[in-house]
Amino acid sequence: MPLIDGHKKNSQSLMLVRERLRYLIAIVFIAFAILVSRLWQLQVVRGEEYFRQTRRNVVDTRMLPSVRGKILDRNLEPIADNRPAFNLYGKAGDIDEEAFERISRVLELTADEREKMQARIETAHKRKRRSAILLLEDQSRDRASMVKQESHLLPELYVRDEPYRYYPHGRALAHLVGYMNQITAAEFDEREAEGYQSTDLVGRYGLERSWESYLRGKRGIERFVVNARGERIEGPDTDGLIEGARFVPPVAGHNVILTIDLALQEHIEKLLRRRAAGAVAVIEVNSGRILALASTPSFDPNVMTGHLTREREAQMLSDPRKPFIDKTLRQYYPPGSTYKFVTGLAALKESLVSAEEPLSCTGVHKQGHRVFRCTSAHQKVDFQEAIQHSCNVYFWKLSERVGIDSMAQMARDFGFGEPTGLGLNGDAAGRVPTKQWYEERDTFKIGHTLNAATGQGDVEVSVLQLAMAYAAIANGRKLFVPLLVDRVESASGDVVVQYEPQLRRLVDVSDESLEIVKQGMWRVVNEVGGTAYDYARSDMLEYSGKTGTAQVKSMRRRDDDENLKDWHPDRDHAWFAGYAPAKNPEIAFVVLLEHGGSGGKHAGPVGKAIVEAYFEGRVPTTEDKGETP
Amino acid sequence: MRRKAATLLIPGPRVGRSRWRTAFADFDWVLLFLVAIIAGLGLLNLYSATYATAHSVKFTQQIMWVALGTLSYFLFSMIDYRSLRRWTWVAHVGVIFGILAVRFFFEAVKGSQRWIMLGPIRIQPTELAKLAVILSLARLLQDWDEQIIDKRTVAYSIAALILPVLLVAWQPDLGSASLLGLIILSMSLMLVQTIWPIIVTMLTGLAALPLLWERMHSYQQGRVLAFLDPGADPTGAAWQTSQSVKAIGSGQISGKGFMEATQNHFNFLPEHWTDFPFSVWAEEWGFLGSVGLLMVFLLLILWIANVGLHAKGKFGQAICVGVAAMIFFHTVVNILMVTGWAPVVGVPLPLISYGGSSVLTIMTGLGLVSSVSKRRREI
Repeated sequence: MPLIDGHKKNSQSLMLVRERLRYLIAIVFIAFAILVSRLWQLQVVRGEEYFRQTRRNVVDTRMLPSVRGKILDRNLEPIADNRPAFNLYGKAGDIDEEAFERISRVLELTADEREKMQARIETAHKRKRRSAILLLEDQSRDRASMVKQESHLLPELYVRDEPYRYYPHGRALAHLVGYMNQITAAEFDEREAEGYQSTDLVGRYGLERSWESYLRGKRGIERFVVNARGERIEGPDTDGLIEGARFVPPVAGHNVILTIDLALQEHIEKLLRRRAAGAVAVIEVNSGRILALASTPSFDPNVMTGHLTREREAQMLSDPRKPFIDKTLRQYYPPGSTYKFVTGLAALKESLVSAEEPLSCTGVHKQGHRVFRCTSAHQKVDFQEAIQHSCNVYFWKLSERVGIDSMAQMARDFGFGEPTGLGLNGDAAGRVPTKQWYEERDTFKIGHTLNAATGQGDVEVSVLQLAMAYAAIANGRKLFVPLLVDRVESASGDVVVQYEPQLRRLVDVSDESLEIVKQGMWRVVNEVGGTAYDYARSDMLEYSGKTGTAQVKSMRRRDDDENLKDWHPDRDHAWFAGYAPAKNPEIAFVVLLEHGGSGGKHAGPVGKAIVEAYFEGRVPTTEDKGETP
Repeated sequence: MRRKAATLLIPGPRVGRSRWRTAFADFDWVLLFLVAIIAGLGLLNLYSATYATAHSVKFTQQIMWVALGTLSYFLFSMIDYRSLRRWTWVAHVGVIFGILAVRFFFEAVKGSQRWIMLGPIRIQPTELAKLAVILSLARLLQDWDEQIIDKRTVAYSIAALILPVLLVAWQPDLGSASLLGLIILSMSLMLVQTIWPIIVTMLTGLAALPLLWERMHSYQQGRVLAFLDPGADPTGAAWQTSQSVKAIGSGQISGKGFMEATQNHFNFLPEHWTDFPFSVWAEEWGFLGSVGLLMVFLLLILWIANVGLHAKGKFGQAICVGVAAMIFFHTVVNILMVTGWAPVVGVPLPLISYGGSSVLTIMTGLGLVSSVSKRRREI
């Protein structure tokens, strides 16, 4: 009975299948349960995070550069401006080793440029490899057009026309205005929240650095949708994907208007450029506004801003005259005889000398075993004559009466020994030594007092400090805080901040004492025998001043100072400080020629040239004065 | 037993019917309904996946393939599946020749030889091999059951069944080879009387895995390694998976909406129409949509199992188990793959993935199941 047998078999088989089907169904259910739980995990538990990630996947942003604020002089002549430049962009993800070599070859990149580009690509690889980044900034027109024309060779690159920092007057005011260069990785990590990008230039020195937040402006943002290859996708279906505005226009930075008179500044820099190293400060005596502040040697900010090669940098860093140091603020020097007014005023204040009392100078002053030498034997000199001839012995004798601490008190009153308050380029405090200061280090000797009396030894001042002190002498004991920035204006011309002159203190001296000192300083320039008479007397107007020839302490022999004719580390510093006109002064000035020789002979003519340049064409002659009612 | 079956299947009148009604007598409408849902959703999803891209032509092609598949479905549900018994080995040998032809006469695509090109039509014999293996194994099981073959023939037959698996692995197409293996394994486990030799063989096979690793191509090894450590190389092999996982996850509970999938639209999902259509679906329809689709697949698999349970004879049972296994493993492996829990091995999601051979194979298989279902009462 095959049929029955078959049927029976079939039933057995069915039993078997039914038996095993239970397992099968169990396995199917378990498998689907696993799938559902995985989907639950991805879509429900972590869904939000993945959602954000996919948004980030498709939305890219392009930063729109803001136009940096200008730095202008008091007549609104731009010192730091912007010009259009060709910037080279590319996506880090597109530039592999082969592409990098090809780009270097086609564009003939220098080693410096290759290094810069390599570093930027590496940084971008960690963050956003699909977004365009700045590879090389401010490229030549030739290179820009090559990128455009040879796009088949350089498909990874494109050029954008963007504003770039530019200093139309080159080296003029270089130390004050400063320069910009690329943000470092550490700075970027710290300041990314402020909207910086890893390839941004930031103010590195001078005003560019300290006024960065005003100058910078605010970057604009353009948000757009990209596909997996980073290609831009347009169209209405992309609208919902972008959170926030598609386009936020950039806001231009504020303009900073200085108290500087650029014409005067450039004239001074021209005068200084003939000297190896030096510094000049010119101050408005009645407000503390800085008219000019020059330091030489300097640097070209247009080179420093993105075009400094390693070679050039090394060359500048090895220059013994230190072109990167602002010699008006950062560096301090022994002031020499320009400091004698401090000793004189301290003695007058305590009535330890009268203006008429003559003291004798034999050309030498013996102190214990040491012999201090004067410039010559001045015989009997009174206060004003001592200033006029710059007699050391007279002031040594005064200092013995006054003592170092009273002198230091007077010096501090005039603003020495502490920063001027300009707050730029490491505004130096200088040094006013006291008895205690010496005792803390070694022992105090009377010789220290004698050295301090003539601005030697351990007394050190900055050029700007001295200028502010001379302004205080000129204006009748008002010591101002130096003012460099007059106001900040928005790009549309609204005044954002206006800075008013700020009086630091009234120096504690009597008008009579001050008048005696001023008379002495008048004689320096305008009377026969004055140390500046032969070199700095002006036929144009009468002005007052004081020369100084500061001996250099460290007598370090250096034979390798090639080709620096009038600069030698052993040579004296030449000083000339003063104010003009002698009556109703308007400006105070300080000239320092670093290792420049004699104060009168070398610094004097520069001072005269500055004064004459300032008053040229606008100073009433003596005859005019008589005619005015 | 019979009573229970009667509650599941509706008996119809058996006399005095027109030819049309005879053709559709006992027709399994439930099966057709489930298949139609999946195929419809598959087309909908493919439209969204390729809409407004360079691949939009794939949608039209797929419509054609689904139409062809539907034709095949009805054709095979009308044919008495038992009459196919004598053709199984012919089909089997044909498929083996197809695989060999691919190996020797057609050029490789992406480092692997998988397609027979007939003008514009590309046929993947490995897909058809799945069907041939199901049918041959079904026949073998039936013959064995009826004890009409001797042991030597059984041994030859087993060798003949293993051959296409090895050939496919040699292509190399590891995904399809393992699927073939899994189909054979589940059919055997379900239908062979004594299963311990199969289990022993299976364990031996697992022990041989390291040997297999040695033989794998570097790109295959790369995929497996990328799967094991997805964080290592986000641009290489793991990039696809990590983008797919992001796409699925970003769908959240209710999805971004039809044709709103950004991952898909902006090409973050490579090959999303073949291996990753589920990612597009999940991104657009969310957790609810994904689970919904999975439930339809679950119902389909259970229904086929149910048909198998009531099939007359081992041949029909084996066909049902084989087709259910085919759909089950494709679905599970594909979804594990796109959710990052299995290496990317190129296993399509049945009726959802783009691909003519796959659609044709699945539809024909389901047509056979329909045929089994229709003839469940016949002796």
